[in-house]
Amino acid sequence: MTTETVSLRAVEKVFPNGVRGLAPVDLSVRRGELITLIGPSGCGKSTLLKLIANLHAPSTGSVSWWGGNFSSVGTEGRRLSFVFQDPTLMPWSNVATNVRLPLDLDGVPRVEAEARVMPALEQVGLSHAAGRFPAQLSGGMRMRVSIARALVTKPDLLLMDEPFGALDEFTRNKLDEDMAELCKRDGLTTIFVTHSLYEAAFLSSRVIVMAAGPGRIHAEYLIEPSMPRDENFRLSDEFSRICRDLNALLTEVSHLNGQKESA
Amino acid sequence: MMKSSRLFTVAAPVAVGTLFLLVWQIICRVWAIPPYLMPAPTDIGASLITNGPVLLHALRSTLLVTLIALGVSVVVGILIAFLLVQSRLIERSLMPYVIILQVTPIVAIAPLIIILVKTTLMALVICATLIAIFPIISNTLQGLRSVDPGLESFFRMHKASRLQLLLRLRIPTAIPMFMAGLRISSGLALVGAVVAEFVAGTGGNSAGLAYEILQSGFQMDIPRMFAALALITLAGLALFAATAILEQLILRRWHEHG
Repeated sequence: MTTETVSLRAVEKVFPNGVRGLAPVDLSVRRGELITLIGPSGCGKSTLLKLIANLHAPSTGSVSWWGGNFSSVGTEGRRLSFVFQDPTLMPWSNVATNVRLPLDLDGVPRVEAEARVMPALEQVGLSHAAGRFPAQLSGGMRMRVSIARALVTKPDLLLMDEPFGALDEFTRNKLDEDMAELCKRDGLTTIFVTHSLYEAAFLSSRVIVMAAGPGRIHAEYLIEPSMPRDENFRLSDEFSRICRDLNALLTEVSHLNGQKESA
Repeated sequence: MMKSSRLFTVAAPVAVGTLFLLVWQIICRVWAIPPYLMPAPTDIGASLITNGPVLLHALRSTLLVTLIALGVSVVVGILIAFLLVQSRLIERSLMPYVIILQVTPIVAIAPLIIILVKTTLMALVICATLIAIFPIISNTLQGLRSVDPGLESFFRMHKASRLQLLLRLRIPTAIPMFMAGLRISSGLALVGAVVAEFVAGTGGNSAGLAYEILQSGFQMDIPRMFAALALITLAGLALFAATAILEQLILRRWHEHG
């Protein structure tokens, strides 16, 4: 089996209103990688992620998943899950039904689907809330349900679009730690969009720094994946150094944008 | 805290209503206003007891028309909304006619309907339905359109069929707006039934409350006219309360906060 999970070749996106969201981009994601996309607003991070999720079609170029086209996605060993910026839960259904949704849509038999819900909820520490409704949960808990819904399909590729952006710092750090542990334990290939360089530094094995106008890849930054992602890592000199480096790259990107705007 | 707030919600309007009736009663008695001009609440109460069987029979007829019209509005309104949501072309082609239906005064077309439709009950139901159906159509349509884009993307990513999208996403999303439409339509169905009865002027065994009001006016029995009016108001309130309770039962979980 190919180790390349997803591959973009000269993928460009021009929206129907003529806005060029993404200049031709080449990107290859290998199995087990945790990649973050970081950059200023409008740099095409979410567009790139939606192209990978097949929610947008590329204007030119091609995307391949496990070496094939999207029709094979969803089969054994080629499962893809997406976690949106908002929890996007169904308010009329309880937590268990929300988590079971992708299995129902994929046609998994009811008994098997129900049996998989509780382990997914346990993974995000919400097994006690299976019967509750989204309106009865806090923002952090709703996001955890959204993650459980993504994990219940046992994905091979997990796409996360600024999932913790609306949460407070403490909840966000906790969820980042949980995510890092989950991805490491299950060898999950993950592409994570964030505005926070600290989040990118903490989670990633590779950071893709993007520039705007049009969106493009500016730089790639590698981080030793074997490093334990815990509170000690966050307090370490190594973490500070990574954050400084990423900050320097983001400053470069913002200068590029500034030059472009003044030109 | 919750209990006292609920008690307040009931007690406050009841207190206002009682005060209003009391002032009304005092004015009628102090100025000795004759009942054929303005009956006191006690006169209306007495008339309600005296004419109880006739008025309740009339109420039954009016409610029958109202409930059938409401049922037809729900079924036909939902079907029209589903049809309109299928494509922008269908919506643009048909929506102007739905609006024409809404803005045409029912009083103006009711005589035509009563002439064209042979059965009185059916004519009354059609008139009431024409008034009650618009909020169901517009609210259901709006609800079907207001799907969370993120959830829709999620369904698309999992290659959901049109039926799955409709049953598991669009219909549940539309329920709150449909319920709001139902609450408005329940009142409008009653208004429609009474207006249609006025125009039809049907008497006999199927006479509704509007007929009783007309007859009371002809006979200068003003307390009886007010009694019939009070029954219409109470019926309207009961319908509103029933739909509000239904809405509360269905949507309770959506709005609870942890």
